[in-house]
Amino acid sequence: MKYFKASFFIIMTLYLLCSTAFAARIEISAPGEQTIPLALTRLLPMGVGGAHPAVATEFQQVLLGDLELSGLFDMTNPASFLSDAGKLGLRRTEIDFYQWRMLGSEALIKGGYSITAGKLTIELRLFDVITQRLLTGRRYVGKVTDVRKIAHTFADQILKSLTGEKGPFSTKIAYISKRTGHKELYLMDVDGYKPIRMTNHRSIVLNPDFSPTRKELIFTSYKKGNPDLYRKEIYTGQESRLSLKSGLNIGGRYSPDGREIALTLSKDKNSEIYLLGTDGTIHRRLTNHYSIDVDPSWSPKGNKIAFVSDRRGNPNIFIVDIHSREVTRLTFEGKYNATPAWNPKGGRIAYSRMDDGIFNIFTIRENGTDERQLTFGSGNKEHPRWSPDGRFLIYSNDLGGNGKSIWIMRADGTGAKRISAHGGNDSHPAWSHRW
Amino acid sequence: MLLVSLLLHLLLPILSYIPFFSQQALEKPPVYRVNLVNKIVKNPQAGRPEAAPVKKKPVVKSKPKPKPAVKPKPIPPKPKPVPVKPKPKPIPPKPKPEPAKPKPIPKPEPKPAVSKVQENTLQQRLQQMRATQERKASEQARKDRIATLKAAALAESSKIKSPITAAPVGMVDGKGDEAGVSAIAFVQEFIQQQWNFSKYQASGNPEAEAKLFYNAEGTLLHYKFIKKSGNSAFDESLTRAIAKSKQLPQPLPESMEFHIFFNLKDMLDRP
Amino acid sequence: MLKSTIARLAVMLFVLTLLAAGCAKKPATEEAAVTEQSTQMEQQQPAGVEEQAVTDTGYDAAAVARKAERDAAKGLEPIHFDFDQYVLTETAKSTLVNNAGLLRAAPAVKILIEGHCDERGSDEYNLALGEKRALATKNYLVSLGVVVERMSTISYGEEMPIDPAHNKAAWTKNRRANFKVKR
Repeated sequence: MKYFKASFFIIMTLYLLCSTAFAARIEISAPGEQTIPLALTRLLPMGVGGAHPAVATEFQQVLLGDLELSGLFDMTNPASFLSDAGKLGLRRTEIDFYQWRMLGSEALIKGGYSITAGKLTIELRLFDVITQRLLTGRRYVGKVTDVRKIAHTFADQILKSLTGEKGPFSTKIAYISKRTGHKELYLMDVDGYKPIRMTNHRSIVLNPDFSPTRKELIFTSYKKGNPDLYRKEIYTGQESRLSLKSGLNIGGRYSPDGREIALTLSKDKNSEIYLLGTDGTIHRRLTNHYSIDVDPSWSPKGNKIAFVSDRRGNPNIFIVDIHSREVTRLTFEGKYNATPAWNPKGGRIAYSRMDDGIFNIFTIRENGTDERQLTFGSGNKEHPRWSPDGRFLIYSNDLGGNGKSIWIMRADGTGAKRISAHGGNDSHPAWSHRW
Repeated sequence: MLLVSLLLHLLLPILSYIPFFSQQALEKPPVYRVNLVNKIVKNPQAGRPEAAPVKKKPVVKSKPKPKPAVKPKPIPPKPKPVPVKPKPKPIPPKPKPEPAKPKPIPKPEPKPAVSKVQENTLQQRLQQMRATQERKASEQARKDRIATLKAAALAESSKIKSPITAAPVGMVDGKGDEAGVSAIAFVQEFIQQQWNFSKYQASGNPEAEAKLFYNAEGTLLHYKFIKKSGNSAFDESLTRAIAKSKQLPQPLPESMEFHIFFNLKDMLDRP
Repeated sequence: MLKSTIARLAVMLFVLTLLAAGCAKKPATEEAAVTEQSTQMEQQQPAGVEEQAVTDTGYDAAAVARKAERDAAKGLEPIHFDFDQYVLTETAKSTLVNNAGLLRAAPAVKILIEGHCDERGSDEYNLALGEKRALATKNYLVSLGVVVERMSTISYGEEMPIDPAHNKAAWTKNRRANFKVKR
């Protein structure tokens, strides 16, 4: 008995010793808040240029739109801002971080602008409120009309700073619009601003795609009667026919290195996937099946191509290895899967599926697992395409019976919003690479 | 004989310690939430850490409020609450308790705000409208949180019908006799609530470890990262969380060191 | 007089043969040949008296051909398909039998077969499907004795609906192959 008492005492002592010698171990397996509280202050006039409230307002609106789309932030209500919001001080030491911390903000954007001699200068800072550090600082000089461009570029920078990967907001979107009565090629900003018509074929233009290496687009047009593949330089407007085989020359897609173009040809009386050189010569034929094979989309490494085929009955997504030409089936669910788009960062393939006569956007892993439906409800959502950073998807949506419009959403299906105006029957969006 | 007995007994706690800790690090330890108004005690009784203290005391009090494993929105105020006019009417939907059985603990869901809008089959437009509304609402909600919480606690004390309403404040595995929660559970909850990180920042499965040393007053004396994830967005978010946890809202029973493993296992939706 | 009539008839026949055997790939040459002949004809008209009878006879032959062409242009009926199908239905086949007759009667006529789809389905897939429809139509006409060289195909997918409505009736109309007489 005595032994027991003694040993018990010793054990207790050891136990206590242990508990102080060891740090208490804790696992925290998710953040408590899944957004970053961000305060976006209004640009203030700096220097001698005087006040141009319109500049500050437009900048604010464009930047806010990008930041909200990113889904990263919980914007601190500007109505609750305290005195520091009205002070220009852009240096770390000039900012009263305590005020921002009181508002619960963890990040803070401050900036100033000046317009002198027709030149617009905008200076911007992103601060970490908690550690009181400058995360990114940028000064932009441009034309007075460059406000939107500067806002998008800084939004890209903010995402770079907070995620390690630049945002896609300063890129462009090409799409097909019937605004003039004919399907023509258009170009617009990622927020839908300023659509510009690129073609005047007065025919049918389809399927644009951006060159990854040059400021150039390819597309299909019936301008000369046959659906031929065209190439167009964006800034010079120079245009030429790249592939004019009899039958279809459709769905052209540049390889990730820009050296080849995958497309559908039907010169031998059946649609097959081919690879062309950028001079339009056929490099090789990838598929050989009496069924319909269309809609190629390159893997990020450029060694595989997803495409649509009805070789097993209904249209489904398949993947062909461009070297071995071995074909594997990717989708098995649903009766009509089409328009695959491979995430340029890898991982998943987006496509649209028709169920009960309605198209919705889905994604699936490259290995055919973990299929997810991203959009729901009425409205046909078709032709998904990824942003160059793989964070967002654009697609066409005919919700509401006003014809199709271009929409944007996050890669997980949240944050969907329309970006092109109603009434154009806008379709076939394509997202540019970074310029 | 004595020696053998001693050795055997010695071995016992040591054995129990080592696997206990490694086990803790692998599985996550307490998955239930902790109501941060509960007192930190050294020997918590058996009970539920999310329950609210019963007695009327200066701070927020209410009848016990069951808060099961499913992670709802964190309850208590931020360290530096906004000085706002309290709007004491609506009970925020988030801290609403969802009774569930305590033991088979399901994985906590990430907050619904940005994740699975997919669940509902409403139209896009509706989703959108709701999203913007939610955003506005969450802004307001944050400001109102403290005030609302007080009101809610009060209101719920009369409303709760859950069978475990009467659960006392304590720890699920509590063996002591004090009404309160363990320091570990409290610190885990508190630091988690200081941690803001978006799934849109995540890449891969980042993991980091830090050691935090608090004195008995609950003040962070020093900390160091044992391991960084290499994902700077992730690591920086942890630095911010720790900076916001410089002062715990309650003293600890004694000075303590915490070895914290941060990861995103319960946020990343990546099967 | 008779001699010259025969000569003229021979010339007309020659022209018609040229027309009928005209090479699809060289419409320009064909046109040139025609104009040449007519110039010759003008040159060959020495007197006004004979002209009447000759023109009458010649007119008859040309008129027959032209009538057949008109009939073909007007009478070629479009055919329809089932959803996501390019296999010819029995109705489509009997329509094509009719069309083939018209085409055989007007051997000079060249046609463009257009394949179309309804708006459901993806644009690219439908372009390929429309082409399959056009080709299936062409092949069937070939089997009915229409010379393959007289026919070309194009697919418009879902780009050119007859009926822009979004309902079953419109879709049924829009899933079609139709025929255009090439000029």
